[in-house]
Amino acid sequence: MPSSYSLVIASSQGQKRREIRLELAEDAWHGRFQAMGSPCELVCEAKKRHEALELTELVAGEAWRIEDKFSRYRAGNVVHRINTAGGRAVEVDDETADLLDFAVTLYNLSEHRFDITSGVLRRAWHFDGGDRVPSENIVSDVLRLVGWHRADWRRPFLQMPSGMEIDLGGIGKEYAVDRCAGLLREQGSSACLVNFGGDLAVSRAPEGRRSWKVAVEGDAEGEPAHLIDLKQGALATSGDARRYLLKDGIRYSHILDPMTGWPVPDAPRSITIAADTCVEAGMMSTLAMLKGAQAEPFLRAQDVVFWCRR
Amino acid sequence: MSQKETHSISVALAAATCTLLGSGISATVDAQEEPAWDFNTSLLYYGEDGDRVKDFSVSAIARRMFIDDRYLTLGLTIDGLTGATPSGAIRQDVAQTFTRPSGNAAYSVAAGVLPLDDTFKDTRLALTAGWQQPVGDTSQVSVGASASKEYDYLHLGVNAKFARDFNQRNTTVSAGIALSMDSLDPVGGAPAPFSPMLDVGDTSNRLGDQDKDVLDIVLGVSQVISRDLVVQANYSYSKSDGYLTDPYKVLSLVDGTSGDTLLRSIAPGVDGPSHQFLFESRPGERTKHSIFGQAKYYMNGKVLDASYRYMSDDWEIDSHTVDLRYRIPFGANRYLEPHLRFYTQTDAEFYRLSIPDSLPLPGHASADYRLGNFDAITAGLKYGWRTRNDNEMSVRIEGYRQTGSVPADQLIGNQVSRDNFPDLNAIIVQFGYRF
Repeated sequence: MPSSYSLVIASSQGQKRREIRLELAEDAWHGRFQAMGSPCELVCEAKKRHEALELTELVAGEAWRIEDKFSRYRAGNVVHRINTAGGRAVEVDDETADLLDFAVTLYNLSEHRFDITSGVLRRAWHFDGGDRVPSENIVSDVLRLVGWHRADWRRPFLQMPSGMEIDLGGIGKEYAVDRCAGLLREQGSSACLVNFGGDLAVSRAPEGRRSWKVAVEGDAEGEPAHLIDLKQGALATSGDARRYLLKDGIRYSHILDPMTGWPVPDAPRSITIAADTCVEAGMMSTLAMLKGAQAEPFLRAQDVVFWCRR
Repeated sequence: MSQKETHSISVALAAATCTLLGSGISATVDAQEEPAWDFNTSLLYYGEDGDRVKDFSVSAIARRMFIDDRYLTLGLTIDGLTGATPSGAIRQDVAQTFTRPSGNAAYSVAAGVLPLDDTFKDTRLALTAGWQQPVGDTSQVSVGASASKEYDYLHLGVNAKFARDFNQRNTTVSAGIALSMDSLDPVGGAPAPFSPMLDVGDTSNRLGDQDKDVLDIVLGVSQVISRDLVVQANYSYSKSDGYLTDPYKVLSLVDGTSGDTLLRSIAPGVDGPSHQFLFESRPGERTKHSIFGQAKYYMNGKVLDASYRYMSDDWEIDSHTVDLRYRIPFGANRYLEPHLRFYTQTDAEFYRLSIPDSLPLPGHASADYRLGNFDAITAGLKYGWRTRNDNEMSVRIEGYRQTGSVPADQLIGNQVSRDNFPDLNAIIVQFGYRF
């Protein structure tokens, strides 16, 4: 028996068609849209359709703003200006500066393994489930463009050697989830769950139910999902069953170590973390991934709630 | 790296996050894993008044969720049945003696009392397994198998269902099919249709094992009319083939004028029936058609669930069922649900109170009250609540009352003044626990 019906709101943003679908399912409104390369949804306990629509528009608007501002695929935004500066210093706005400061903290906490300049390694690595492992030469060529220590960051000016790039993709989605949850709290709206491609946060504890039930995907071979009751806080997952390389019986994870330019050996297939905020959950799972075989001992020492799959 | 040093990472991360997000952080995380298995268990008591049927049943349904909305469902039910059920023979002004279905002993019924067969005792074990998964974005398929075993009965079945959503998931069309292959091995062997009840130890009228096959097809459509109203309509077709007779039911062979059951002579030293009884005979086929309509209406948390079913079969039984449930939530996690059900059916074309010796034997005949003309009403109340650890409990108490009548043109002589279709009252108590 269907328990949903839909409403489609479309708008044009440049060349891109952006739409929101609103559905009623299992006694809650689900506002769905696409942002940051992921399916995104807002689940809310709003009673009225127009209220659910307004909240989804608020959340989608913020997600699209962050996408437009920080995507490395968008010409003309701050990331694009930094990546095409050709060695010149670029002055950035406060929000970008805050994100860069945050990235510096992670760089230090991870013993330089979390590095927003490591995105160029993607030129060498294509994690599509295939067997194209790059040659050592290609990797070491690209690696010359990696390393935050080569950047000169003096808020609000960032200067990097020509050819180096930054990529905020490792932070952006979690940041967007928390920003949206914060906007919903400011609005004093009914309880909502913000879910951007599996990274999610609760705006406040639900009323009509004890908790939000979140399914964390198992792997493609049919491993069962974890069902998590989330009342407060956030969840984020690193790792993806479909993003890896397989050659000569070796599985290369898509988590790259910027120190070597090669995948972190023995990294778990995925790590899901529960934390107060989506940013903390996401960063903690990335930091754990970078620990490779030591991911679980590292996480146990943090006293965080986690689910690790190998 | 020591534990203390690693722990300092999460503290530093929290501080940096706070700086990044400002004051927008809400509360401390509260997350825990749900067990992937979901169990729905129930304990049911069904008790008819007097010495009649009592059923105590325990059931558990376990459901395991996999990724992508795929589910495995396993079910187990154990039933314990005891008590007496009408044998089909009519009351007499004298005591009557019957041979037990096993053929190994006899029992007597006092004058003026409705003959009940008190050997009715059985334990049933039923197992089901099902798998459900989406196919593409808009369709769902499920397949299942079932088996149940009683002392004298084995059921094996398979089923499949396909459902597809249309119209932005506002409309769902479904088609299902179920096949069951049952075999009966009645206590003492299945008696030949219309054969007489014989002396204790005489098995000359007994046949071997019997089979029954059933095909069910259901076509359905459900439609979301508005956020508050969902309606559903089904058509179902059911075809049964094989041994559809109840091997334990008899009819009294009566005098065409007085309506009293004919006496039977028994050789000295032999135990056997005091009167003449014939085992019933039903057609070897039955085709049923039914239509079902249901509406669920949501009103500020309250839910009205109303349904109607019309069934008609080629045994000439027509039935109507109206079922009403109204769920009233109160407090944060409790509800009350009154339930009312009305049922009425016409009798089968071959339903007979008794068989008069003055007329030729009909093609088929049964005195089973379940094939007779009757009305039934069920009224009950369910109370459900959510426990502190988010499990669900419920208690349901219902009363059932059945009143029927034998068509006047079937009553002969002394039968007119007797109660030929006694009322049946039962209570149903059910505890449910979902965790």
